[in-house]
Order: sequence, then structure tokens, then C-alpha cells
Amino acid sequence: MPEVKEYTTPHKPTWCPGCGNFGMWEALKRALSQLDLDFNEYSMVWGIGCHGNGADFLKTQGFHALHGRALPVASALSLTRPDLKVIVEMGDGDGYGLGMGHFIHSVRRNIDMTCIAHNNQIYGLTTGQASPTTEHLMRTVSTPGGVLEEPVNPLGLALAQGATFVARGFAGDIPHLTELYKQAIGHEGFALVDVFQPCVTWNKLNTFSWFRERVYNLEDEGHDPSDRRAAFELSLTTFHEMTCTPDECRVPIGVFYREDEVPTYNEDATGAGDPGYHKATKPRDISGLIASFG
Amino acid sequence: MAPRDPEAVEVRIKIGGPAGFGIKAAGQTLARLFTRAGYETFDLTEYPSLIKGGHNNYHLRISSEEIFSHVEPVDILVALDRDTVALHLDELTEGAAIIYDPNDFDIGEVAGVPDTACAVPAPLKEIVYEAGGIPIMRNVAALGAVLGHIGFPLDYLTRSIEQQFAHKAPEIAEQNVACASAGYEHARDHECAFPYDMQARDRDGERVLVDGNESAGLAALAAGVGLYCAYPMTPASSLLHFFAKHAEKHDIVVKHTEDEIAAMNMVVGGAFGGTRSMCATSGGGFSLMVEAFGLAGVSESAVVVGLFTRPGPATGMPTWTEQSDLRFAIHASQGEFPRVVLAPGDREDAFHLTWQAFNLADVLQTPVIILGDTYLSDNRQSVPPFDTSRVEIDRGEIITEGEVEEYARYRVTDSGVSPRAIPGLKGAEQVVNSYEHDEHGYGAQGEDTGVRIAQNEKRMRKMELARTLVPPPAYYGPDDADLSVLLFGSTKMPVREAAKWLEREGISINIMQVVTVWPFPAVEVSEFLGRARRTAIIEGNFTGQLQSLVREHCLTDVDHTLHRHDGRPFSPEQVRGFIKEVLG
Repeated sequence: MPEVKEYTTPHKPTWCPGCGNFGMWEALKRALSQLDLDFNEYSMVWGIGCHGNGADFLKTQGFHALHGRALPVASALSLTRPDLKVIVEMGDGDGYGLGMGHFIHSVRRNIDMTCIAHNNQIYGLTTGQASPTTEHLMRTVSTPGGVLEEPVNPLGLALAQGATFVARGFAGDIPHLTELYKQAIGHEGFALVDVFQPCVTWNKLNTFSWFRERVYNLEDEGHDPSDRRAAFELSLTTFHEMTCTPDECRVPIGVFYREDEVPTYNEDATGAGDPGYHKATKPRDISGLIASFG
Repeated sequence: MAPRDPEAVEVRIKIGGPAGFGIKAAGQTLARLFTRAGYETFDLTEYPSLIKGGHNNYHLRISSEEIFSHVEPVDILVALDRDTVALHLDELTEGAAIIYDPNDFDIGEVAGVPDTACAVPAPLKEIVYEAGGIPIMRNVAALGAVLGHIGFPLDYLTRSIEQQFAHKAPEIAEQNVACASAGYEHARDHECAFPYDMQARDRDGERVLVDGNESAGLAALAAGVGLYCAYPMTPASSLLHFFAKHAEKHDIVVKHTEDEIAAMNMVVGGAFGGTRSMCATSGGGFSLMVEAFGLAGVSESAVVVGLFTRPGPATGMPTWTEQSDLRFAIHASQGEFPRVVLAPGDREDAFHLTWQAFNLADVLQTPVIILGDTYLSDNRQSVPPFDTSRVEIDRGEIITEGEVEEYARYRVTDSGVSPRAIPGLKGAEQVVNSYEHDEHGYGAQGEDTGVRIAQNEKRMRKMELARTLVPPPAYYGPDDADLSVLLFGSTKMPVREAAKWLEREGISINIMQVVTVWPFPAVEVSEFLGRARRTAIIEGNFTGQLQSLVREHCLTDVDHTLHRHDGRPFSPEQVRGFIKEVLG
């Protein structure tokens, strides 16, 4: 089993001191180590954003994709490489903005992969614009009068679209997040882990202390993760009035919903049973097919 | 009108009517029948972008000799409505027959029907009613009438029907045969001389009946494609259907994606995993793919992209043809990176360039475009079965176990190609990156000037390697000719046909087909134009995109140009007229 520290590269993280990405990075390394996944047994796919810079820091055989487009790259990898565990990391602007179409369709296909969303409710790398999950009325450099839209509800959308594994983590609780990752990676099908990951530079509202005062563990309160309706109700409690007090707005973390034994897209798709490169070792015999055009 | 080949037996049939009447399917039955009976065939379907109504037509050229394209004239017009007669009067040859249902309209009331035309009334609807069939079977009655008019043995049609409906209820085949026979008898009874003697012939060698998309699809299968992704867009959609149909038997992942952006990103992901991956679309879809096309360039991913063009911009004319995306294919994406653009001119090209595209993509680790158009994608021609013994698979330089010690995904090499490890190989850690990156793929040092220059120059060196690997231009005609014509893509077909006609008239033409349009074969084109007596470029666009490449890369120009941008392919008649005009 590779040790946690072996999952690093020679490159030191360039995230801001105190960034929520550090906690997510640590939790992922622990999960990979505890699952005993060697560096050639899993493949990471990143989108573009602060989270994506993690491509330099985590030892893997991975792909740093375009902004918003990690999921299609990962979908193809999952369908053509059944021998690899595929893990996507994407941002809230990246995956729920530009990539929203891919997100919804990946969920409904139940393609076998883990999707980790770095949700800091702001655009970090492009210096502080409102993201799809920024809270209603919050002022940012692109919304000086406050955000006019309601934030995207990624867990609710995923549940509505038939997701088979939906969880939320908090970057400030590494042991809990590690467990969520392990469950998600072990899940057969599309597993979403949306992680609140405070941006210490641009989001002055949803800070570590803001979350620490509000998060609670679903397991502790007896939530039944097989209850889809209850999970959907919980997803609606994600966003609040900006001024809400800790008592008024509590933030649930943990597994919202989990359904095992649902057939994955990979199981039913043609051609997804063995690695795609096996199919191009010698020319296919198509003489019979050509003759059928006669 | 086209001059007839005195040696050939040639008949041109057009079936026209509203969309939704199964006109193309009926036409293809005729094409199959005559191909099996020893003739060469070439079809051309014209249809609007709608499901019902409008005007569709299917033109079939049948010849006893080798043919290269469609032609304009019509010897037998099957008019399933009155509009068809009015719309195609100009195309009728002397003595042409018009087969129609007198219950649909009175042909005497259609203005302009030439006196020489022979009206062949066939009560198609009544025939179907008497046979107890369904309305669409009137096509079959009409096909029977066509054969009856020609005096061609009906059993070619009845056998074809029996085969086609072998898997359905026997009474459906019986009804169809009854319709065909009744249509046949009506035409035989009608006093209308057919000027050509057409009988089944012996032919040297087999033929298959394929369109450009089928040709490319067959080649991709042969080349070991493992992933095909697409969003439906005319004229590329039929390639998606082709792969979907054959996915199970040939063990391919085929995905109709949520959009073209996903399709292109997926094939990049598939290529990353070592799978031969392809997508295809038309100009609008390719517009959406462009960012990920650039991703394939910087990440050095081996992908094959079919770009089958139609008149643009935007939605344009969805079901028609144009060659106006040549510059788009060559320049698409921000930044600079090596790419190869191959332009098949006919079905044989579409087959052999497609399997080669996979090898080029793998060896060069860069995207390869197959640039076709609706004229090639949609229309079938009888061709000898493709020679699959020519198909080779070259996956390029791949690192295997035992070679991982010093592995760096983007190792700087003299050729520019960095041997790659397929993910999963123990010890071959790598990041394949959309960012500029160092030799290992890490983006952290990608912005260092030395790293950027080394990686950019490494990638661009592959362009020089590409020049030594890509298919050269193709030449047709004598070395010394009255006119030298430069062209790319499907324009090859009507120009070759016109050259054949002109040769009989004592005018010699030679043709250079730019097969690989990128990297542009400047040396060969300069040489071709330099030794020509007079030169011309024929291309299906408004601005002269091939001509602009000649000016840019060969620092020369041509004497004459012919353009077309009305959605229709060049006809050999048009090409012949142009050449006779410029040669005075």
C-alpha cells in the first residue's frame, strides 16, 4: 500500500495559505492510500480552476482537461478503460457553469466514475467573480449590486436526474471527507461528492468559521441514505439568506443518497467490456461487411 | 446537355415527389438492381431539411462504362406529384418518358412539357389498392413501370423485393411484387418507344454500392476504432447510424453525446486511454468542437475528426453541399499546433484516407481531419470492393514495461514525437495537459520561457515529420494538357467526368487533386502549375480558399477559376462548359 506522502509529486502546492483545497488534497491522498490504489490503477481528470492546479501535486496518470469539460474526457476514459478507476475533480464555476450540461448527462447515464466538486461558491483563479453557487445577493467584482440569481443546487439536480451516489463534504473535516471519498470511489456508478471548500481570498462570506458553526453530520442525526425523498428535502436546505444565523441555517454533510446494484452505463454499453487499445492490434476483418454492400 | 458516350449504354432516371414518400429508398432499390445487373451506377439525392412535404428527388445515372459523377439529364422522370414535372422539365432529354399517376394530375395541363416527351400514365394508387398494399408501395409500382418502360427483365426487381422483405411477413413481399408487376404491365402496354437497348450485362469484377460515409466507416472499423462519438448533424449523421448498427458485433463504444463539445472532448479522453477514437460532424458542430480540437493539439492526442461540410454559416443549408470550410479546417483553434487535413475526392479515397488518418494521428500524436462534404457523404456509387489488404495499423511510438525508468510524456526529441505510455502502465506517471507543460506534463513550469519554447518547437517539429508521411497529391490525365486543373475534395468527381468527355472532343485536361490539404503540398502544386500551359482552380466556395492557399504558399496564381456556392455540387456539364469557354 503506497503511503499517503507517496501520492505527491515534486511540485509544492501553489494554493493560497489556508485554501480549502489543501484539506481536499489530503483527504484524497488518504483515501487512495487506504483503498490501496497504486498510481497506475486510478486516473484523475481535472477541469480548469484553482482545483485543477492540483494536477501538478497528485501522483497519477491523469489528464488536465479544458474548463468545464472534465466529465466528457472522464466518461470516455471510463467507457474505454474498465481496468482503471476514474476520478474527476472539477470546480463549481467549471463543472456547474460551463460544464452543467455534461454534469446532468453524466449523472443520468450513471457512468462509473467519481466526481469530486470543489465548491467554494466563487471564481478563485479568475479573481473573485460570482459562480453558479454563489449565494443570492452576495456582492462580487462581477456583481457589485449582488448576485440576482438563485444558486445552483447540485445535489438536488443530481437526485432529480437519478443519481446513485450523492454526498457532501467539508474541506475542514478531513477524516469525514476521507470516508466519503472511499465510499464514492468504491461505488459502482456515478458518485458525486460536492465539497464545501472555502476560498480564503475571495469569498468573505462562506468562510471556514461560517461553515464550522453550521455543518452537521447526517449520520449523527439518523438520516437514511436510501431515502431519496428525504435526500431531496435535505438538498433544498443548502442555501440560505446571507444573514442567517447558525441556528437558522445548518449545513448537512455526509451521504445524502446511495443506491447500489443499479446497472451502470458501462455494463450495458457495447464495447465497454475491455480496454479500447486491445481493438487496434491488427486490422479488423470487415470483408463480410463490405460484401454486404454488394 | 452532356454528350453521350457512343460506346456506352447510359440511362438517367429521376424520381421526384414530396418528402416522406420513401423516394430515396425506392431509388436505391433501382441502383442496387442495376448494379447487380452489371451496370455502373451513381446516385444524387436532393432533399430539403424536413420530414414531410417539400420536394425531394433522387437521380440515378446508370451506365455500361466507367463513370465518375452524376449528370444533369433525365431520360425517365417518375413524377409522384405535379411539381416534379414542372421543376425538372429542363432536364428531360429528347424522347424522355414521364411516368405519373393520371389520378394525381392531368399532364396536359402542365405547361412546357416538350412534344418529344412521352407520357406514361400508370395508375399507381389503384395498383396499390388492388394489391391490398399500403400507400408507400406506389413507389414499387413506379419502379415496375420504369423497368416496363425500359423493357428490362422484371425478375431483377422481384428478386430484390423478395430479399428486402425476407424477414417480414410473406404477404408484404407478395403485395410489393404484385404492385411491381402491375406497374410493369401498364408501362409495357403503353405505346412509348425506349431509345436504348438495356439488358443485363456481364461485368469484370464485383461491385459494392456505398456512399462516402459508409466508405469512411468501413475503413475506421478496419483500422480498429474503439470509440465513436457524435451529435447528429447532416450530412455526418449517417456515420453515427453506421457505427451504432455495427457497434455490438465489432465491440465499439458508440455514443450519441449531449453536444459536439462533449463528443470532441470524449474522443480526446478515449485517445488518452489508448483507444482509437473518432468523431464526425459538419461545420456547425465543428465550431463547437474547436476548443477541444486545440486541446488534442497541445495534449498531443491522436484523434480523427470527420468534417463533412455543407453551406454555412450557422444553420445554412443543412442538406446541401459546399466546400467552404477548407480554411476553417486548417486554422480552427487558437494557438499553433500541428494537424493534418485529408480531403477525400471519392469513395475509394474516403476508405483509404480514413484508415491512414488513424495511423497518422497515432504516429504524429496529433489531430487529423477528414474533410468531406455532403456530395460525397450522401450519395452512393458502384465501386469495386475496397482492398482491405492495404489496411495497416501503426500505433506509433509506445513505451512498454521495462522502458518506464526515464519516462517523460512530453520528452523533447529530434522528431518532435515523444514516445507515450498508455495509462495503466506501472511506473509511467504522467499528466496529459491542456496547459503548456514541461516534459512530464506538469503545468507548473509551463510558463517558463525555456520550457514553452522547447515544447512548442517540439510539437511544431511534428509538422515537418507529417510532410514526409502524408499522402501526396493525385494526378489524372496526360502530362501535357490544354488545361491543368487544381482541385480538392469531391470536385474531383465531376471534373474527371468532364475531362473524359472533353478528351472525346479533342481537348486534353490534366488534374491535380490536393489530397492532403494540410500540410499544403506547395512544392508539388508549384511544379504542377509551373509546367502547365494554362491553369484553373475549381472549388465549391465563394472566396476561392484553395486559390488563396496557392497564392500564399506557392507565390503564384492560376489563369481561371470556377466557383459554386448554391448548395449544389458542380456538374460535369458545368465544368465542361467552363473549360470550353476559357479555352476559347
